Amino acid sequence: MKVLVTGATGFIGRRLTLSLATAGYEVKALCRDTNHPYLIKHQNIEPVLGNILYPQGLKRVMAGCSQVYHMAALAKMWCRNPDAYHETNVIGTRNVLEAAKQTDINRIVYTSTCGVWGPTIKHPMTENDPRICGFPIAYERTKYLAELEVQNFVRQGLDVVIVNPSRVYGEGPVTDSNTVAKMVFGYLKGTWRFIPGNGEQVANYAFLDDVVAGHIAAMNKGLTGERYILGGHDISFNDFFKTLQQVTGIQQSMIKVPLKVIEFYSMLQWLKTRLTGLPPVFLPEFAQRLHFDQKYSSNKAVNQLNYTITPFADGLRKTVDHLQASVQQTHQESSSTISELCHN
Amino acid sequence: MPQLTAIVTGASEGLGKSFAIELARRSINLVVVSLPASGLPELASFIRKNFEVKVSYIEADLTQTESSPEIFNYLHDHHITAHVLINNAGLGNWSWFEEKSVSFYKTQIELNVMTPVLLTRLFLAQTDASVTSYILNVGSLGGLFVVPKKQVYGATKSFIRYFTRCLQLELHGSNVKLSLLSPGGINTKPELLVMNNSLKGISKATILEPEQVARIAIDGLLKGKKEIIPGIVNRMLVLLNSLLPDYVKDSIIKRRLNTILES
Repeated sequence: MKVLVTGATGFIGRRLTLSLATAGYEVKALCRDTNHPYLIKHQNIEPVLGNILYPQGLKRVMAGCSQVYHMAALAKMWCRNPDAYHETNVIGTRNVLEAAKQTDINRIVYTSTCGVWGPTIKHPMTENDPRICGFPIAYERTKYLAELEVQNFVRQGLDVVIVNPSRVYGEGPVTDSNTVAKMVFGYLKGTWRFIPGNGEQVANYAFLDDVVAGHIAAMNKGLTGERYILGGHDISFNDFFKTLQQVTGIQQSMIKVPLKVIEFYSMLQWLKTRLTGLPPVFLPEFAQRLHFDQKYSSNKAVNQLNYTITPFADGLRKTVDHLQASVQQTHQESSSTISELCHN
Repeated sequence: MPQLTAIVTGASEGLGKSFAIELARRSINLVVVSLPASGLPELASFIRKNFEVKVSYIEADLTQTESSPEIFNYLHDHHITAHVLINNAGLGNWSWFEEKSVSFYKTQIELNVMTPVLLTRLFLAQTDASVTSYILNVGSLGGLFVVPKKQVYGATKSFIRYFTRCLQLELHGSNVKLSLLSPGGINTKPELLVMNNSLKGISKATILEPEQVARIAIDGLLKGKKEIIPGIVNRMLVLLNSLLPDYVKDSIIKRRLNTILES
């Protein structure tokens, strides 16, 4: 069976293409650059040139495919062009669904995010829970609007299943939208030495392999129009770095930075970006989020999709091993690519 | 202070949802009202789970005149006295007058004008005079500034302004506190999320998140403020409104209009 994956060079996408290819699917990997270094080379993976912003090409790419995993998105914290979030995440999704409607696609899995819920109060959020605040973060706002697009197409009869991964970590490149890898990589190098606030803020960490398996399970067993949280364990910053210390055997002295300081710093960054156009390190809307937990329950996926959750320490060990191996490998090749690894 | 109970209309989304969460955060019991199939049971169960408050929900179409008495019959049957009324449900739009149908305007006037009047009347009839009661009427800065494409909406909000101001005089010295909330733009509905993010400069600075507006509004309501205008830029606009010549005001509004027409 032929399947199309959009966002095939992304952190989750590349791993999904590999998983599908290994399982015997013929995978068409949609990319804007077929020579992208993150694209996985496999006999069952066929790189196809295309862009979700250009609807004309999408129908051609979908010809012969029966399933689509639509995971292409703009997920980084900041983008020079603020409209890019809406274009990529909302209009791009509309384009993909419209093309699927006009071709012989049987089913689509759309990759959303737990960010459509965002902050939580006491208990982990479930699929039925409401969002409790507005959408100051562009990524979350546009992913929410994209979900509305999906629901619109579902009402028109298109078979789409939505999955909502939480903060994903695992074996893969350190990219801009990959927060966990940036923290782990920074910890290994000794450049990440701080814990926000009192360190008790909780977030949900989903292991990449679980999330990839969850996507395929959603394609096979998910119900049309339903959402499935693909999460992992709820872990505080303190526990995150405690586990990281145990896994790596490296003990960094960590500094707890008060949230007020982070907020002030984020405002300076915002001002810097406003005045100079240089990318910010951190933004106020993200500093505000540090006041809240982000706990999510994957029970629905566990019950309906047989979703499994890797213990955090096991997942983190694999992530660390992978990052250490890639650092050593890069060292042998050329030292300059390390910085590339950080900034790509 | 006794355990308070608040009625919030239009609670399933937007500002109403933020009101419900903000009141629950302050340990005030809730009676949330919204249209059927708008996610009200889910919201009620979420609030019960996460806060130590009682939540009742009533799914009703408030444009039907009988809905308002039904709410208070429900309260009476369940021995609930309401101490707070948040008249939040409303229908907004942004369109030239001839773009919308007769039935749209009828619904809009019923929901924005009739419903708050009926609910306020019925609420006052059941309040406990020994406990301070609170009414928050959600108006709009649009009730103050004349904005194109807001002809009927703005007029309904002007009605709410007069209604609230007048009742404040009538109820002066009683144990009922009334506040008028006059917010600028709020990032609530999906189409507003898109539209508001295309704004720039001062227009953008007038836009607030619903949870900010709800927090400021409930603070003001409990303090007995007569009019609550969330956001420093909005307060400055109101101040400027009384100082600036008309042509400057017109140009601000037209600029905002242009941004939206271009997008």
